[in-house]
Amino acid sequence: MDKLLVSPSPHLHTKTSTKSLMRDVVIALLPAVVVSVLFYGWSELLVLGVSVASCVLLEYLITKYLLKGACTIGDWSAVITGVLLALNLPATTPWWVVFIGAVVAIGVAKMTFGGLGQNLFNPAIVGRVFLLISFPTYMTDWTKPQGFICNALADGYTGATPLGIAKEGGVAAVEGLDYMDMLFFNIGGSAGELSAIALLLGFAYLLIRRVIRPYITLSILATVAVFSGIFWAINPAEYTDPLFNLLTGGLLLGSIFMATDYVTSPMSNWGGVIFGVGIGLITMLIRYFGAYPEGVSFAILIMNSVVPLINKWCHTKKYGR
Amino acid sequence: MMKTFSIGGIHPSDSKISKDCKIEVLPVPSKVFISVAQHLGAPATPIVKAGDQVKVGQVIAEPAGFISAYVHSSVSGTVKSVGPRKDLAGNNMTHIEIDVEGDEWIEGVDLTDTLVTAIPEDNKAILDKIKMCGVVGLGGATFPAHVKLCPPPGKKADCLILNGAECEPYLTSDYRIMLERSKEIVVGAAIMKQVLGGCPAVIGIEENKPEAIKAMTAAVAELQSTAKGYEGISVMTLKKKYPQGGEKQLIDAVMGRQVKSMGLPIDVGAVVQNVATSLAVYEAVQKNIPLITNVMTITGDCLPMEKQHNYKFRIGMPLSYIAEVAGGVPAEAAKIISGGPMMGKAIANMDATTVKGSSSLLYLTAEQTVRGVESACIRCGKCAEACPMGLEPFLLQKYARNSMMDELEENAIQDCIECGCCLYSCPANIPLLDIIRLAKGDVIKIIRGRGQR
Ligand code: SF4
Ligand code: SF4
Repeated sequence: MDKLLVSPSPHLHTKTSTKSLMRDVVIALLPAVVVSVLFYGWSELLVLGVSVASCVLLEYLITKYLLKGACTIGDWSAVITGVLLALNLPATTPWWVVFIGAVVAIGVAKMTFGGLGQNLFNPAIVGRVFLLISFPTYMTDWTKPQGFICNALADGYTGATPLGIAKEGGVAAVEGLDYMDMLFFNIGGSAGELSAIALLLGFAYLLIRRVIRPYITLSILATVAVFSGIFWAINPAEYTDPLFNLLTGGLLLGSIFMATDYVTSPMSNWGGVIFGVGIGLITMLIRYFGAYPEGVSFAILIMNSVVPLINKWCHTKKYGR
Repeated sequence: MMKTFSIGGIHPSDSKISKDCKIEVLPVPSKVFISVAQHLGAPATPIVKAGDQVKVGQVIAEPAGFISAYVHSSVSGTVKSVGPRKDLAGNNMTHIEIDVEGDEWIEGVDLTDTLVTAIPEDNKAILDKIKMCGVVGLGGATFPAHVKLCPPPGKKADCLILNGAECEPYLTSDYRIMLERSKEIVVGAAIMKQVLGGCPAVIGIEENKPEAIKAMTAAVAELQSTAKGYEGISVMTLKKKYPQGGEKQLIDAVMGRQVKSMGLPIDVGAVVQNVATSLAVYEAVQKNIPLITNVMTITGDCLPMEKQHNYKFRIGMPLSYIAEVAGGVPAEAAKIISGGPMMGKAIANMDATTVKGSSSLLYLTAEQTVRGVESACIRCGKCAEACPMGLEPFLLQKYARNSMMDELEENAIQDCIECGCCLYSCPANIPLLDIIRLAKGDVIKIIRGRGQR
């Protein structure tokens, strides 16, 4: 009887752990991963493999030899960064460029801040944006490699993303695009931008498993829809329509998987809404008026930097106050 | 729409394994040790000494202050000693040791099963009886019942809430009395609401106890049609969510009102009493029986069905004795809890004895209860989402680790009800409540100190 455990309440604990949450995010990413591999074939597998392996390996090496602390690769967060980074790159990206992206994501954006929980910016996005600036040619090469399943891209779209085409040629250039193609996987773009359905499946899974709350994602999508809706209503010849803006580019991937990153998003629901509206606005400003065709990554990074401020002002509603 | 409290809350598994075990009466052991600290407030002062003969129900310790309570002997026999003995946390407290001889009760108690439905008219006499019978709140806090039933001048009760939520996993004692003593509980409610000036009384029960809802609703209906003084009593079905039975949460759920920080329920017109307290009030007022018994649950996933029990115990029975009668402590038990798994206390000493508020012996296995290794906060916000007081535990723990007292107070650490939702929910195994509990004590001391100056 003297070996009774005595410790303060509560005496039970949820089964949900950091590891199980992160693993759920990886599971939620699987549909998008499968679609991208089917579509882009071996070269996409290579990008994914290099990205995930280097992220995990780098985190292992850094925690073990540089920080000499507990090894944290068991929490699956490095795997998420690896998958997200890969899904943000064209399938034609050379392996060594992918590796540099992983070094920036894990080595710079994550570990120098102190690892999971401490980083200000989403590691995968930092990696991607770094590559976009340093290797613009590789990062905008959307030629389609041979996939595992046969599919017929509409003529004329093979070499570019719909957003890129719209930027170059205006609304008229994307007139023939079929939204059903965007929903499934018939449009050009980086791997993770292929299939809205696959990404939305992941979103549903995350919500059902209560991994994330819907506020950030929904407020981003709503803002994009409203903003583009207003401009499109005023001048449909100049501005792309809301559905086009929702389904193309990295919007779904970014709003579902990257803006909702626990560490780099606000804690409270209202904070999440402000954060989401900000991302939506900045994204649309870049798409309509900026130099780049796509602005989700920049928008998330910019809003990441104001999260501490949002957290300072947005608190949960307290009982009896 | 079923009602519940508006902020936070969690849904741990129900685990009401012993819910179908009828209440059994525990045989009286040969010796009891009755603690003088069975209530919130000052420990009572013993008025017996070694060698005295006592009867069942006789006062053996008197209140030592306004917030204190009478303690009665639960057995008849000879006082063997009055002195320190370890309680379940292992701290020394004065206990009165009595050698049991026979089972002779004091004069005037009504031990029959006859239901007494006529409510005495004199409220003062009722309150006196509740006080003299040592009735305390049995929902966890063991606050002297008569004090709560006398609102301070200028305050009025708008609603008496009977807490039948039993939101802690595993516990089934309230459930059993709601099934087996439904009418007595309703009579107790009618008595308390009369004392409070005739406000309505609402019996709040969670949806996962349909049988109890049925039994209590039937009891209310029957008493309303056969006796006087039972109007305005109703049963309210609440959604299942922990901590529904928290006083502040229950008031929010039932009345839609929130008690201000550092305020009392009566400030918003609420008086909350547990269903077990209502039963004790019935026994005290209608039967003259002092509070010397209560019902406790013996349970745990590692106990076979035949060793699960709901026992009517007398105060002063050693826990080890009860465990023995129930079939022994299971080998897999790593931790034994007195109370629920969320807010109960881990028992350090099985030689400790039952008190008025004892509610369980809950056996948890190592696998169930040993916490995982703490890792870094991933800022998931799950602790804040779970907190029924709307606090931000991740922030409080950070401030607490750095002793930032002003920030802690600004962020309302003093409002923490120690429900454990935050620690339960944290995927990074951060001991949030452990840290918050300590710092909260310090902050409340600072606030009190300021009030005195
Ligand atoms: S223990 Fe305190 S801080 Fe934690 S959830 Fe409960 S009230 Fe909130
Ligand atoms: S639940 Fe734990 S990990 Fe999540 S924010 Fe709260 S303290 Fe951090």
